[in-house]
Parts: sequence; C-alpha cells; structure tokens
Amino acid sequence: MYELFPVIILLAFLFETMDSSAGMGFGTGLTPLLFLLGYDPLQVVPILLLSEAITGFTSSYFHQEFQNVSFSFHRPFNQATKTMGIIAITGCFAIILSVILTYAALQLSKSFIKTYVAILVLAMGIIGMIRLKSKESRYRPKLLTAFAALAGFNKGIGAGGYGPVVMMGQLFSGIYEKTATAIVSLAEGIVSLFGFASFIFIAAYGLTIDYVLLPSIFTGGFIAAILSPYLVRVFPNKMWRILIPIYAILMGVLSLAKVMNIIS
Amino acid sequence: MDHQDNTLKIGQLAQMLDAEYTIIQRMKIKKETIKRVGYALIFYASIMILFTLVL
Repeated sequence: MYELFPVIILLAFLFETMDSSAGMGFGTGLTPLLFLLGYDPLQVVPILLLSEAITGFTSSYFHQEFQNVSFSFHRPFNQATKTMGIIAITGCFAIILSVILTYAALQLSKSFIKTYVAILVLAMGIIGMIRLKSKESRYRPKLLTAFAALAGFNKGIGAGGYGPVVMMGQLFSGIYEKTATAIVSLAEGIVSLFGFASFIFIAAYGLTIDYVLLPSIFTGGFIAAILSPYLVRVFPNKMWRILIPIYAILMGVLSLAKVMNIIS
Repeated sequence: MDHQDNTLKIGQLAQMLDAEYTIIQRMKIKKETIKRVGYALIFYASIMILFTLVL
C-alpha cells in the first residue's frame, strides 16, 4: 500500500497550477525543491516525467474543452495541431540527442547545465517583458522549431527548462498566450511520455526507479490539470501576457541564485 | 498562407472568447463539461486503485 504525503500533494498542485496556466514551472520549479527535501534523482525525475505526461494530456484535454485551443486530430490538421506537432516531434528528437551527448559523449557538468538554463530562462523572461510594448506579432515556424529543439535538449539533460523555453518561444513566434499554454501542455505531455519510456528502457538494464512519490505528485498535479485550463479561460489574456514573462524572470532568478549558492 | 493569418488561426477561438464575452460570461460552465470533469475524476480514482494494486 502506498503512502500519500500532504506537503508533496500541495507542492505538486501549486506548481502544476502554474505549469498548466503559464506553461512552465513544474519541472524547473519542483525538481530542485524535491531534491532539497532530500529525495534522490531516481525518486524524482522519472516520476515527474510520468506525472507530467498524464497531467499534460489531461490539461490539454480541458484546454480544448474550455476553448483555449482548438486541436484537430483528423486530416487535414489545423494550424494549432501542426504547431504542437512541430514542438513535440522536435522535442522528442532533441531529448534523445541530449541524453546521448550528456550521458555518453560530452559529460557536461551539472553546474554548467544549470547555469546555462537559468541564464536562458532569465533572458527570455526579460525579452518577453520588452516584447509587451510591441503590438505586432508574426508567426515564425522556423524560430519555433529552434526553440523546441533547445527546450528538448534542456529536458534531456535533466536540468529543467523545457516549459519556459517553449512557452516564450511560442510567444516570440506570435502565438496567442492562452493558446500557447494549451499547446505547450500537450507537447510536454508527449515529450515527457517519451522521456519516461527512456527511463523504463534503462530500467530493463538494472536501474531501479522508486515510485514512492508518484501517488502524491499525481494527486496534486491531476487536480491542478483540470482547474488551470478553467482559470486560463476565465482570466483575460492581458493578465497572462504580463504574468508569464514575470514568472519566467522569477524562475530564472531563483535558478541562478541556487546555482550561485545564494539560496541553498 | 500569410503569416498574420496563421497567427490569427492558432488563437482564433480564445481571441474570440476574450473579445466577445465578459469574465462573468466566461465563468459559466456547460453541463457537458461538468460531466467530463466527473469522468476525469473517475479516471483519477481508477489510476489510484491501480497504484494500490501495483505499488
């Protein structure tokens, strides 16, 4: 019989609420916090990936229900589905490449990766704030593909930074904030499922995954995945347009402070 | 297709809701949606039962 941890449920609920509303924060915010609470990477990373896969599909279903987005899953695919496809497929390829490069070829140091992700997220948040003044937005699929590749690379090296990069990348590519949140939820669900499958594959070669946190993270995350799309529908887009870059800056500053040991 | 049209098409529905409905109007939930939330909660309960059996 499993055990439910109220603190973990609450944290998962809060971070998933932000993740499904602002398109970022579950992996980038919750992972370091769970490490601080004393949990091991193998108790945290695969469980977050599995949970994000389920909550990603759930929240995107409710984003569609609350009309924040309109996906079409029959040919011809509409523009939102194609955009989600670009992000998800590029992310899946980038995740494989980054796992190989990080764990087999390059052996990049953890602090280098964390510093790079923190600076990237911070810079994107600042650009997002500057962008608030600009009223013109233009659809740029090539730029979106580049951001999706960068985001998938971040997720594969295990330092977080998928949601913020893909979310800000979509906004820079001219996609409406509410719809961008819905697209990132589904794309992240697919990429996370892919990431969890990689862990299952590695587990077949002797790696042990600890599922102790799964029921608690799933409980908090699942409730938030239903509630958040409703919040996105109700609150005006102007609010999300301001809140998302501010939240990205906050995530970047906190990540940078942690890398520099200003907060432990 | 023009770039501007693409952007508009992606967020069309949400933009229309924002433009034509007030916050109070957007707060209203259809009966069908409540039913789907109910199904989602049944899905949640099934997963938790699965965890009880597997973990």
